Amino acid sequence: MRGTQPAYGMLAAFVVAAPVLVGIAYCAAGVLGLLGDTAGGSVNWSVLADAATWRSVGWSFWAAGASTFLALVGAVAVAALCRSTRSSDRAARALAVLPLPIPHIVAALVGLLVLAQSGLLARIAYSLGVVGAPAEVPVLVYDGLGVGFILTMAAKEIPFLALIAISLAGGDLRPVEESARTLGASPAELFRRITLPLLLRGMMPATVAVFVFVFGSYEVAAMLGPTAPAPLPVLITESYAGASLERRTEAYLLSLLALLIACVAVAAHELLRRDMFRRLPG
Amino acid sequence: MIPRPETGSAARALLLLLLFLLAAGPLLLLLLLSFGEGWFWPALLPAEFSGSAWGSLASGASGTRLLRAALNSLLLGLSTGLLASLLALPLGRQLARLTGWRRMVGSAAAFLPVAAPPVTLGVGLNYTFLVSGLGGSFIGVLLAHLIPALGYTCLFFMGYFEVYDDRLDEAALTLGASRAQLFRPVTLPLLRRPLLEAALLGFLISWAQVPLTLLIGQGLVSTLPLELLSYVNAGQDRFAAAGAIILTLPALLTLAVAGLAIKRTGAVVA
Amino acid sequence: MSGTSRLELRLVAVRFGREAGLSAISLAVAPGETVAIVGTSGAGKSSLLRAIAGLDPVAGGSVVIEGVDRSSAPPEARGAVYLHQTPLLFPHLSVAENIAFPLRVRRVDAMAIAKRVDEVLEKLRLGSLRDRDPATLSGGQRHRVALARAIAGRPPVLLLDEPLTGLDPATRAETLEAIRSALADYDPATLYVTHDLAEAGSIADRIGVLLAAEIQQIDTPVNLFEQPASAAVAEFVGFSNRITGESDGSTFRAGLWEIPLQTDFTGRAVLLFRPQSLYVEDAGELTGEVLSVAHSPQGPRLRVKVQGVELDATASRSGMTERGDARFRLDNPGLRIFAEL
Repeated sequence: MRGTQPAYGMLAAFVVAAPVLVGIAYCAAGVLGLLGDTAGGSVNWSVLADAATWRSVGWSFWAAGASTFLALVGAVAVAALCRSTRSSDRAARALAVLPLPIPHIVAALVGLLVLAQSGLLARIAYSLGVVGAPAEVPVLVYDGLGVGFILTMAAKEIPFLALIAISLAGGDLRPVEESARTLGASPAELFRRITLPLLLRGMMPATVAVFVFVFGSYEVAAMLGPTAPAPLPVLITESYAGASLERRTEAYLLSLLALLIACVAVAAHELLRRDMFRRLPG
Repeated sequence: MIPRPETGSAARALLLLLLFLLAAGPLLLLLLLSFGEGWFWPALLPAEFSGSAWGSLASGASGTRLLRAALNSLLLGLSTGLLASLLALPLGRQLARLTGWRRMVGSAAAFLPVAAPPVTLGVGLNYTFLVSGLGGSFIGVLLAHLIPALGYTCLFFMGYFEVYDDRLDEAALTLGASRAQLFRPVTLPLLRRPLLEAALLGFLISWAQVPLTLLIGQGLVSTLPLELLSYVNAGQDRFAAAGAIILTLPALLTLAVAGLAIKRTGAVVA
Repeated sequence: MSGTSRLELRLVAVRFGREAGLSAISLAVAPGETVAIVGTSGAGKSSLLRAIAGLDPVAGGSVVIEGVDRSSAPPEARGAVYLHQTPLLFPHLSVAENIAFPLRVRRVDAMAIAKRVDEVLEKLRLGSLRDRDPATLSGGQRHRVALARAIAGRPPVLLLDEPLTGLDPATRAETLEAIRSALADYDPATLYVTHDLAEAGSIADRIGVLLAAEIQQIDTPVNLFEQPASAAVAEFVGFSNRITGESDGSTFRAGLWEIPLQTDFTGRAVLLFRPQSLYVEDAGELTGEVLSVAHSPQGPRLRVKVQGVELDATASRSGMTERGDARFRLDNPGLRIFAEL
């Protein structure tokens, strides 16, 4: 049954990917002024020379990277620390995954409410006597570093990564860890040399996925990110909404760039999965 | 595993607390805000509680807008879920049958609409939608939502069929049944659950969608997330909190099923 | 005994499954000695090994390794390396790094590690695979690397859990050879679990038979196969023919059967013998009938009915047999008799 009539499978692949491919094609055409609403215009490469563009791209990379890293740390912590059948550990594992289906925009709102200068965290700090007025509270949202964004996205993406980490730690890893322990590895050595490397290996594809999700996220970036440098998805919408033809072309160009990055991520993800598939222990 | 001394129990306790806060905190906060009155700096709790925010939200012009947005979201969600699920069944099954490099291509193809930032899809496809008269229409937005949703559901069914034992079908076939005869007694009952899970997945994707609705909908199609965004932009925090609670409802109601669905998708993504 | 044995189990109890468990396992293994544990599937052999290794808790008794009670010690502090049935190599490390692992965790210095790794690679003929990725190895090669890794640190005790089960003949031979080399490298006390008696007989110094949650007998292969200690053990090692009757101290009687046999008990008795002890013989004293003939690589196996009892027998010395009435002879030396409990 497997491997028979691959033509259908390839057709299915085409059907699913087609809208994105059309999108890419149209963005390219739009950049070159070949079609539709930018027809006749000349290619405007100036946006690529604009430092602000690259600051936006850089910001998005930084924010996505930092969020993914923190989410990874959180997920690994849950999977590695809360492994037993004790009820407290089972509760931890369930709680870690619980927020999974919450919409991103809701997470963004909560992030705003908690981390804003007059938000919950600030008020707790006030009641502890750490700050006196909202103005004294460190700026965590709309800030250049994107701390509010990063913390919110990290919290939002932990459930997904935790789901995978927990399943890995509970299954495949155990027999290998037993071997390692009888070979003389203490719990610390075991974690450092076996558990952590193998967990991270197993989570690589999912981590790439999370990175690209956060990178392309619009609503959270719009609600928590800075105005300058604007996160890339926000920059794209601003350009697109701009009245002039020039701005439109900018939007297409930036979209093309973002789509290119997404394609690279997809390719990396596939290669990592295949690599991993070959390396299951036993 | 091996009975271990209580290493890191302090760390575990802290982690448990943090996880509890992350899971329960948001909803609690939203409830406090939407039901609270006069919650100003530096108070940790609202001065008093009432349903006034909910009341004003539900009444008059904002009430009708909200209702329309909610109905749109519901309809869009259900349609997306249904379509994405039904379409992904044959698509996912064929994708799961691929081997070797073709499998990588298939899996990448399903992942592409999931990974592509929705903003870019909105920008790239907007003209096409406009030209075909779908821009700013319900159907247009539905089709737009379907793009990432189909990606997710295909990944889901790829994961499902990866572990589905074809031998079950083979055994029945060698007993003389045709594929069509197999469908009702064998295939359908087994598919009921995954179809439901996939539909839920598609629903959640559409339900929470923002940029695609904004761009393709041209501001003419209102959905709950868009309403929420407008409340936030207008500084109407309490309305925003109420809207957020409504948005979170399906997730809460279907926790168990949603978790399973995402697990299956995650098995392919991971 | 504690002075010379490296591994000692004193009344060890192990729980597995819902109700099953081993109750009072006692044995001692000397340095360099290999003791095979045989028994039926599900008898608890693997659970015993896991409990010795510290992977599962011991429900009673003590596990003593090199004179020290390790019953509550964690696995890494016991000195007993456990080898799973499927070789579990660390996928993120090369072959050489896998082998070096037990040395590295003990902070042996780099030069000593390199030297020992080379030694072990040589010994198990893995030299050419040193930098390979474990995922690229064949089954037999994986088994050898797992063994190499196990002996690299010269652990006092080795626990091999069904190492040859499920392997095809070629890989079996390769792995058995590797096991012999590995065990000859230094003088580990080895416990070797298997359900295959022939395998146990070929590699072990002594064999322990685990039946009904106890070690019923532990002896050299010769002694075990020739002088089983109980009816249950006898049946386990191949005395498949069984006749229940009475003994008065000098004769065994059961129905039409009457055999002169000295016993130190009287009363109900069970007589056991191998199929090889009953054979077709024209001049035989016993009358009976050959019911069916099955051919096997070891020769024809007969299902017969002799003096009213259905038994397994072998063909006549001439190798010819056919169904129907025949006469049989019983080899007295092959008979074993036990009191029936």
